Amino acid sequence: MKARLADATGVVDRNGVKVSYEVYGEGDPALLLIPPSPITHSRSWKGQIHHLARRNRVVTFDGRGNGLSDRPTEAKAYEPPAMVADMVAIVDEVGADQTVLVAHCHAAMWAFMLASRYPERVAGVVAISPGIPYLGDSNPHWIEVSEHWEEDPTDPEGWFMCNPTYWRRGGYASWIRFWFDLLATEEHSSKQVEDMVGWALETDAETMVLGSEAEAPDASREASMQLTRSVRCPVLVLHGSEDRCQLPTRGREVAQITGGRFILMEGAGHLVAARHPVAVNRHISSFLADIEEKPMPSQTWTRALSRRRRALYVSSPIGLGHARRDVAIAEELHQLDPDLEIDWLAQSPVTTVLEAEGHTIHPASRWLASESAHIASEAAGHDLNAFQAIRRMDEILLANFMVFQEVVEEGAYDVVIADEAWDIDHFWHENPELKRGSHVWMTDFVGFLPMPDGGDHEAYLTADYNAEMVEHVARFPRIRDRSIFVGNPDDVVPDPLGPDLPAIRDWTMDHFAFSGYITGFVPPTPDEAAELRRELGYRDDERVCLVTVGGSGVGRALLERMIGAYPYARQELDDLRMVVVAGPRLDPESLAVPDGVEVVGYVDRLHRHLSVCDLAVVQGGLTTTMELTAARRPFLYFPLKNHFEQNRHVRYRLDGYGAGRCMDFDSSGPEEIAAAMVEEIDRPIEYRAVESDGAARAAHLIAELL
Amino acid sequence: MKAKQPDHQDFIARDGVKVAFELYQNDGPTVLLMPTWSIVHSRHWKMQIAYLARHFRLITFDGRGNGGSDRPAETAAYADAEFVADAVAVLDATDTDQTVVAGVSMGGHWAALLAGLHPQRISGAVLIGASTSLVPRDPHRQVFDWDEELDTHQGWAKYNRHHWERDYDDFTRFFMSQVFSEPHSTKQREDAVAWALETDGETLIATQLGERITADVERRILESIRCPVLLIHGTEDHVQPHASSQVLAEIVGGTLVSIEGGGHLPNARDPVQVNLAIRRFVETLRPFTARPAAGARP
Repeated sequence: MKARLADATGVVDRNGVKVSYEVYGEGDPALLLIPPSPITHSRSWKGQIHHLARRNRVVTFDGRGNGLSDRPTEAKAYEPPAMVADMVAIVDEVGADQTVLVAHCHAAMWAFMLASRYPERVAGVVAISPGIPYLGDSNPHWIEVSEHWEEDPTDPEGWFMCNPTYWRRGGYASWIRFWFDLLATEEHSSKQVEDMVGWALETDAETMVLGSEAEAPDASREASMQLTRSVRCPVLVLHGSEDRCQLPTRGREVAQITGGRFILMEGAGHLVAARHPVAVNRHISSFLADIEEKPMPSQTWTRALSRRRRALYVSSPIGLGHARRDVAIAEELHQLDPDLEIDWLAQSPVTTVLEAEGHTIHPASRWLASESAHIASEAAGHDLNAFQAIRRMDEILLANFMVFQEVVEEGAYDVVIADEAWDIDHFWHENPELKRGSHVWMTDFVGFLPMPDGGDHEAYLTADYNAEMVEHVARFPRIRDRSIFVGNPDDVVPDPLGPDLPAIRDWTMDHFAFSGYITGFVPPTPDEAAELRRELGYRDDERVCLVTVGGSGVGRALLERMIGAYPYARQELDDLRMVVVAGPRLDPESLAVPDGVEVVGYVDRLHRHLSVCDLAVVQGGLTTTMELTAARRPFLYFPLKNHFEQNRHVRYRLDGYGAGRCMDFDSSGPEEIAAAMVEEIDRPIEYRAVESDGAARAAHLIAELL
Repeated sequence: MKAKQPDHQDFIARDGVKVAFELYQNDGPTVLLMPTWSIVHSRHWKMQIAYLARHFRLITFDGRGNGGSDRPAETAAYADAEFVADAVAVLDATDTDQTVVAGVSMGGHWAALLAGLHPQRISGAVLIGASTSLVPRDPHRQVFDWDEELDTHQGWAKYNRHHWERDYDDFTRFFMSQVFSEPHSTKQREDAVAWALETDGETLIATQLGERITADVERRILESIRCPVLLIHGTEDHVQPHASSQVLAEIVGGTLVSIEGGGHLPNARDPVQVNLAIRRFVETLRPFTARPAAGARP
């Protein structure tokens, strides 16, 4: 899912060529994000839009030749004047009197042309890896490419694939793959390359030929000098030192001629907006602040010893699982330090729990892009590739990190408690100078693991992600001041993090403290259980099977399967009552049920029901299965297909406790399930006990930093 | 030892009164650090000088009545107008066409007057714990008369000319304990008392009798200020209430940085924050220019 949807979309039509644009947010000056089409389109700004649109109106568009825009078939249609005219038509149509232009690569040429021709319309230009011909050093590869442009290469490799004849012969995709692999000089750029290749393949060889030939038809050093010299507005140039498309001396000369600011991003390649979005976003924001000349707002700085202790708690919103344990930890922290102020940066559904308990939710939480909606959108039936879902959440994680960073820069927090807040941990390692306060990293699993369906490629990707984490932690041990594994050493899988990487358990033992498991509640004693059953309306002469899929909205398939199994189970268990919990996201009315089965919606404090049921049927999520383990209830669990955490990490842990019976959704029909229910419901419970002091132990580990 | 020695030291003289100034050369914009009440001298900026001088051309001078400057005996020499005129003379003597001016307490008051009266010379003003006649003093300062002989010399009763004549040392120790209301301020109090003892009770009485501009005139001058103004004020300022800067900020349209828990001389007690704030302020006054910067990937 996208981090933010457009507030308005539109199309300008000039001489029959339609160009599609999008508008996000409000605030002056408007920003026009210009993609270097036709090789890419507006989505190449996905790392910038959410951040910039929180303060400014952001307009972006698909340049002719890609995305939702037309693909005209004559070269003239792609020449710079046409591009500039499109941009003018768009800013006219959205009514932006003055804009700041943000352009990448050869689109910087169009930005400067617009700024030069309509100086009153342009308040500033951010040129990223600007491709202004003949300025600075020219890349010798491009010269070579143009020398061989008209030739017909046989089996070209590398740069020689940049050839219209080869593209038309079917080589376009090969060139694109080579090209973006080459541009992403940084390690661990698989997602950015995949994105870029995908967008480039939305256009075709013929369009790319036209676009390439039209890029700079009258190029000369004199023309480039004249153009850049005529730009009068403030200019910011960002350029990677390892840029293999536009050499950084080019950006430096652009800045010199325009009197602009040049920021060299050492070690970065050509795709800085995609690969280093945090730095790029912050540079754009500070450029905007500089040119806006707004007076500095009044503010308060509190003397160090006059400050109360403050914590910012960031609880992962993927499912409800973490909310209860985080609340339990927060309560233990208050026991240790009643004056501690805790702000929560959280989103639905976690906020539901927090609000009910009276916790303080930071107002910036409203800016957070929904992670749980993204995860739900990634699920299909009883299938959720959790690794790919998290990986494809890059845009949302970035958007939320940018919000988080502003919160910690203003909040003077002593500690940030990040319970599986991947964005914080990842982007602080990528931008270590941004860290504020101590950082407690909490997780209940370590290491992405490939699922068999993903094949070699997923094995490569998970290993690459794990390798990046290992390198991050080794290079910047100061980013995680305390790492807490929610569990015990025995819970950690022994699998390798990847080829030539340490085993997960060894690495976790070396880098984490262990809090034990944290359920967030104490299971009832037998006396309390009897009382609770009465309170919840469960009779002694019936056996209650609770079916629940949590709050994630993923799980209709399992509920329907279980409803189908009920009649078979009922044949063996005549006192069986089945309660199906649809959760807040599924409509209970939409499920048809036989007698003996009832469907309920959202259930407050579901763990109380789970702790007194006679049998539970659940997915493979850690929170619910461990609640059942702690309460010593029999249960069947169906890990979501392709969900590495449920299939490997959780299952391994439950096996250690001797808890639950793992079921395969695909191969378990109603009769098999009913048979398993009958077997499990009377099985004596011999689970290893779950500790109840986990929250207190975690709180002590955190409090040492306060 | 001082963290930084000036590049140039000299005097200006007006009506036979010599005023010592110091210049720290730099290619950047100029910042003039005003003197404050002559109970101290330019060393009260000691925590700013080395830092600001790395970024800006810096000028300091000792207010008449202390430091390296003369200590005229007549009260007329200590009028508001004289301190402002000294500042202009120092700017002239250093060939400074335009400067940012910063002042603490009384120096903030004079900095504001300078900005209002000499708009072509002043590009921005930083007023720290600034004095103003537009806001009444805190009640604890209004109990005792300065001029009359009192029957006590406890607390703010020490702020009294007769006590200054009898036991100037005692007054300075008390006063600096009020200036630095923050815990653990022994060094700052010790410094300030030592500077106070470089002058004497008689001189300080003369400064107190110098002609102050009226509230009406002050307001008119403040309203005429056109340059950007940064105000900094501690919320625990026991000498000049924090409300002063709120009122001043309102009149001049300035930005107020409040220092929660801070006393009357945050430039001495919270120097890092004050240094950063001044630098940021001066840099925002500069037009957007090429400024090379390198960001390194981890």
